[in-house]
Amino acid sequence: MRRTHLVFAALAWSASAILFNSWFPRAVQAEDAASVLPPLEAQLASDPDNLRSGSEYRRAVIRMGEYDRAIKFFEKLVADHPNAANAHLNYGFAYVDKVPVAGSITQVILANNALGEFAKSVALRPTWIGLYTRGNSYLYWPKIFGRASLGVADLEEAMKMQKADRKRRHHVRTYIALGDAHWKTDDLDKARAVWEEGLKQFPDHPQLKARLDKNGDDLQAVMDGVYDITKRIDTTLEELWAE
Amino acid sequence: MAVAWTAANPATDPQGAWFEDITQKAGVAAKHTNRSFKNPYAQIMEGYTALGAAAAVADYDGDGFEDIYVTDSKAGGKNHLYHNNGDLTFTDVAEQAGVADGNDEANASADALWFDYNNDGRPDLFLVRFGRSQLFRNLGKGKFGEVTKQAGLDRYSNAITAIAFDYDRDGDADLFVGSYFQPVNIFDPDTPRFFPESFETANNGGGVTVFRNNGKGTFTDVSAKVGIKLSGWTLDLGHGDADNDGDEDLYVAADFGTDRFFVNNGDGTFADQTESAIGIDSKKGMNADWGDFDNDGRLDIYVTNITDDYMREGNFLWHNNGDLTFTDVARETGTHDTGWGWGGKFFDYDNDSWLDLYVVNGWVSAGKESYVPDIFTMVVRPGVDFADLRNWPPMGNKSLSGYQKKKLFHNERGQLFKEEATRHGLDSLRDGRGIAVADFDNDGRLDLFVSNANAEPFLYRNTLPTGAHWVEFLLEGTASNRGAIGAQLRLTAGNKTHFNFVNGGNGFAGQSTLRAHFGLGNSDTIDGVEVRWPSGRKQQFTKLAADNIYKLVEGNPRPALLPAKAGQK
Repeated sequence: MRRTHLVFAALAWSASAILFNSWFPRAVQAEDAASVLPPLEAQLASDPDNLRSGSEYRRAVIRMGEYDRAIKFFEKLVADHPNAANAHLNYGFAYVDKVPVAGSITQVILANNALGEFAKSVALRPTWIGLYTRGNSYLYWPKIFGRASLGVADLEEAMKMQKADRKRRHHVRTYIALGDAHWKTDDLDKARAVWEEGLKQFPDHPQLKARLDKNGDDLQAVMDGVYDITKRIDTTLEELWAE
Repeated sequence: MAVAWTAANPATDPQGAWFEDITQKAGVAAKHTNRSFKNPYAQIMEGYTALGAAAAVADYDGDGFEDIYVTDSKAGGKNHLYHNNGDLTFTDVAEQAGVADGNDEANASADALWFDYNNDGRPDLFLVRFGRSQLFRNLGKGKFGEVTKQAGLDRYSNAITAIAFDYDRDGDADLFVGSYFQPVNIFDPDTPRFFPESFETANNGGGVTVFRNNGKGTFTDVSAKVGIKLSGWTLDLGHGDADNDGDEDLYVAADFGTDRFFVNNGDGTFADQTESAIGIDSKKGMNADWGDFDNDGRLDIYVTNITDDYMREGNFLWHNNGDLTFTDVARETGTHDTGWGWGGKFFDYDNDSWLDLYVVNGWVSAGKESYVPDIFTMVVRPGVDFADLRNWPPMGNKSLSGYQKKKLFHNERGQLFKEEATRHGLDSLRDGRGIAVADFDNDGRLDLFVSNANAEPFLYRNTLPTGAHWVEFLLEGTASNRGAIGAQLRLTAGNKTHFNFVNGGNGFAGQSTLRAHFGLGNSDTIDGVEVRWPSGRKQQFTKLAADNIYKLVEGNPRPALLPAKAGQK
């Protein structure tokens, strides 16, 4: 069966996180939506701002292909809990999760809806993950929309936050994405400066090195690969709680 | 009297460009103009009707040289019948032939198809139109007469493509017509709700109509009877025998929704095997051409879709798995990204025995401002009714996937394709639509006629340097349909077997030669050719020399060299 692909906004998380953790419910792997999803939904309903519970739920949803169910669930969840910033974040991710199985124009709608939820999350509580997610999502939009500059703004805010924090493994993502955002706004010098700073903080990081080692068409090819919308975006957020 | 032309052109640089733009000096440069409308929705409609530039090749006068019929679309615009003078110049004889007047206030030409509907040996002309399509009978001596009503083909259909093949193998070519809009009068609509209801699953288009040839100069609509009941936004139709069982199967390329694959049941009906054959897609199918790109003896299919930075659909190169399933290998072979794709044609431009691909593209090349944000603004509006064209933003002078470079993919032995359009001067930025492949100068090198929307066309002469051998076959059916559409040829040379077939108009907005062309590479002798005629008869032909154009007649064991045009020899 073929997949359709398209423009969308999303958080690119680590590919390795696609693998399920050992604590992942066994029933999920049996793909029994009727038994697996209700308890996860109940847990989220009782704790709507729990980012990790939302992640676990969405991972189950992806396995079972119950994208529309998840979107409906989060729609109700944020209606019931409009001030739960992470519920909006999870809601946005639920849209992103559906992108790979949607048609090209539906993908645009999903991406736009996701961006709307990310924005609500940031408006409610401007966290690092919220700003990073929204900023990174802007980078998937075609240049014609001019959204990369919005990405620069969000990612610079995320950078400020992480510099005020202790260094965490996932902070490397901001160096990558902010550099990419500068590159997408045709400011290669700033892009390189951010990537180089990132490399100092995270020596030998392969994604930073891949960018710094390339120029011109080769760098373009790296970017095309990174922002290849034909690939499923990992929204598990696993690195957040891996430390 | 016979001719044996060779591919001698020592002046051509082996490393340089192998195509020469001869449009102007050949006399085929008449510009196509898009239709503009005079109704309340004109400004919106014009952004979505940049269509109708088409070209169809046939030797309508039987003089041994391929002629070209080219459409215009503006109201009052003349279509062109370019008679091939045999020296790579053409003379527009459409007016005297009676086939020039294809465009008026109520009809716009969209495509054209040559097919010998009455088996008299003279190609007739089906003019595909938004509005009422027309059938012109070839009366001989360069004259045509319209027989649409007598033939039972007079209907309003907003047709955009047509192919002909003998689906029921009764000895005459049947007509398959694909329509884009539903049959509303788009020139004077009484409703604003005739645009696609969805970008991905629209079923409010014109669908496909199957006209069975009754054999007496008339046709009957048998669409439902044969099992083809579609209402999608058809853009192209392509036929081929996917399972080599002797009958022709059908691929339907649809805009705004799912392409369809129909298997011929062999009893005059088709089975929709889309899901098992190609899966359900939601892309923007524009083209369906069949060819055996990997020389495995099975016909594969090339379909163009939209690939741009705002829509990454990718084309399909459907590799035929041999069990009525296909695998898309476009990405693996490097043929997936051709921008906003339109016509795509398999042809062996360097006679190396591997089918190459030429693909044209581009929707609207206008001002610097992009239409993409406008359309996306509509798309993300909650609850928008796409079917109502009043919700669609006017395009004005904006561009949408414009100024795209055409692609020439050289086949690297069936595994990969290498893009060579720039090298060969085939990377025009015009809004390409159709491709008609033919050997216009009978030199064994396939030339290209490219139709462009709102622009002049291109005639590219192939100037491949001497070296690679070739052979062409023009088939004539006797028990089979006269044009031998659907005939398969398996040629053995140099311990290799090559496969080609006679198709009845495959490819968006372009009909290519009926001749089966084979590039032979270094092989200067042909061990044999097996022809499987549409009737089922098989014939072997041996002792054929390369670098010739042969005419094969069903049942006649002796191949003939194509007669030369007077003065050519």
